[in-house]
Amino acid sequence: MDLLLQTGLNAVYAASYMALIAVGLVLIFGVMGVINFAHGELFMAGAYAVVALYADLAVPFLLAVAGGLLFVGVLGLVMERALFRPLRDNPLGGLVASIGFLLVLQALAVLLFGVRMEHVPPATQEIIAFSERVRFPLQRLWVVIAAIVLLSGLWLFLKKTRLGWALRASAQDPEAAALQGISINQTARIAMFIGAALAGVAGALSAPLVSVNPHMGHSVIITAFIVIIVGGIGSLEGAVVAAIVYAFIHTFVTTFWDGVIADIVGLTLMLLVLIVKPTGLFGTADRA
Amino acid sequence: MIRKLRLPRLSRRRFLGGTAALGAAASGLTGRALAQDKVVRIGFLAPLTGPVAAWGKPGLDGCRIWGEWVNEAGGIELSDGAYQVEFVSYDNEYDPAKARTGATKLIREDGVSFVMMLGGDTWPGAQPVADKTGMLFSTLLPSDLSPDTTTLVAPAEVHPVYNVTGVEWLAENHPDLKTAVMCAQDDALGLPSVATYLAAFEAAGIEMQQEPILFDPATTDFAPVVTKMIADNPDIVCLDTAYADYVHPIVEQLFQQGYDGQIISCTADFYEQMIEKTSKEFMEGFIFQFPDFDDPALNQDFINFPDPNRFYEVYTERHPGEWGAVSWEYASIMDLWKAAAEKAGSAEPDAVLAAMKEGGSGPHAFGTAQWWGEDLFGIDTALVGNWPVVVIQDGKARIQEFRSIPDWYDQHGELLKKHMADYGQMWDQRA
Repeated sequence: MDLLLQTGLNAVYAASYMALIAVGLVLIFGVMGVINFAHGELFMAGAYAVVALYADLAVPFLLAVAGGLLFVGVLGLVMERALFRPLRDNPLGGLVASIGFLLVLQALAVLLFGVRMEHVPPATQEIIAFSERVRFPLQRLWVVIAAIVLLSGLWLFLKKTRLGWALRASAQDPEAAALQGISINQTARIAMFIGAALAGVAGALSAPLVSVNPHMGHSVIITAFIVIIVGGIGSLEGAVVAAIVYAFIHTFVTTFWDGVIADIVGLTLMLLVLIVKPTGLFGTADRA
Repeated sequence: MIRKLRLPRLSRRRFLGGTAALGAAASGLTGRALAQDKVVRIGFLAPLTGPVAAWGKPGLDGCRIWGEWVNEAGGIELSDGAYQVEFVSYDNEYDPAKARTGATKLIREDGVSFVMMLGGDTWPGAQPVADKTGMLFSTLLPSDLSPDTTTLVAPAEVHPVYNVTGVEWLAENHPDLKTAVMCAQDDALGLPSVATYLAAFEAAGIEMQQEPILFDPATTDFAPVVTKMIADNPDIVCLDTAYADYVHPIVEQLFQQGYDGQIISCTADFYEQMIEKTSKEFMEGFIFQFPDFDDPALNQDFINFPDPNRFYEVYTERHPGEWGAVSWEYASIMDLWKAAAEKAGSAEPDAVLAAMKEGGSGPHAFGTAQWWGEDLFGIDTALVGNWPVVVIQDGKARIQEFRSIPDWYDQHGELLKKHMADYGQMWDQRA
């Protein structure tokens, strides 16, 4: 029983940070139509912001995380203005530019911090112990809380505010939205800031829990792509549900069978979804 | 005023004469400078960036210190005089294709006389270049050796075979610990080490509670792996030969999930950071295989590494917090290469290799060792002898004992071969 509960807690954490990353990726794609290959590196940038602020400059951890969120959000704005906006009419331009930006961010991380993994001291060593073998570190709980708060906030923003409606309108039909007076540039900026910031905050909160190095974005982006394909490219709800499904399957298979088999099962899940419902669980035909 | 400062008018004859004299003087000077600065170049072909950089870059930093010391002491004495040593590095990013490009560049463009590698996944990339050019290569991973690798030597470490010394020491000093679990990344570094640890545990009478857990090298969250490992309360958790990027989060997870048993690992690079992430008490007794070189046990007479304590001091002064498993290893290979080149009077690869292997033994960093490996690798090009068992005590790594690898192999060699064969790691099973 303890094993089941501990595995469940592990899966909740994995689902939380995967959802933060995948929702950001989906938001950027939904509004701007760009597959942002540099999204893993935005996660990495968030983690390095914590290295710089918290580990190097001794800024309190949660303040450093907020700094990471803002920094990566601004990085998203730079990407939107410098890369994606000039290439808006080029279907592959944004994708290629994001691959280039990915390499630039990796090179910058190497230049500024070196090639080795960075040491991030634990922000807290407090552990919530449900029993001797069912334990949940507070640092992991912060990621879960951040995912719930930020994704709920995003949902409210999209459903209840005029800017949120504008974003959804741009995602559904940019030309019709523009004809209604919605600024496509402004919605793109907002989407890019929020999407990047979500990846940044996931990286920032995870920094003490993972190995922070210039290449840490690789595995994250692969998982995020599996999640958004399973959920339906362009669907925020799909990304959240798929993140939860994928995280639980992957975590339980890893614990009860094998990590390598878990990867195979994850990819098989994606293939099955593509065969049975090519638009993904929550996707619509026009975005697939 | 300006007019007054002008030089007297220069005639063409005077100009040509002056230039010729200057040229003659310069050529003479250059000739003398070259005579004093004959250089032998050594290639350093290892991961300097990427996830495996921790087993490349610190080695290059160590080599640079080694090179400075050797050059200050007069260089390498060959039959036609003294040579300064110069390291030329190429970052292979632990990628076989880049290793091949790097090997070609180092040999053809840079004219190196010897190439040091980490090996592992990158050796198959460099091997065709070694075969074609006859260049002498070294690897840290003897699992790269086979009868076909005639110009490849493993003179520093016999990874993963030395891991048996840690398990043997553990079994003798903690006979109450009877069950173990193990996890490893599923790659050319992890698998032979899994086979070795399985043999060592079996030889020591320690029972494996479950099959070794292999994880994808792309894994970032180790909580599920750790949950699985400690589900049945094992006495010993073995971390195999995992990269520092894995060892740290796994150890942190073991701490967070409440494990309080024995941990054994091949490496514990940057262990101070692990202590900070867990606690001194949690890390007490952690067994691994790579000492800090300020260890007093390295000042014994049989140690061949020159002035290890000073090397450690200079290294940690220049690269604070970066001392790791390989910081000294490539430098120790250079000690062996220098001794062989000076014995041969030449830096030619075949002459150096012959001198290196002459007599069947050589001066390994941890004492005189024998050229060995026919039984396990199909070729006797691994330098094998004693290896230290290191334990963290009160927050500091300390050598407990030097143990003989050949002695263990004489008793349990068949067991090791069986497990190596089970994991497809014998030389005739590797592609």
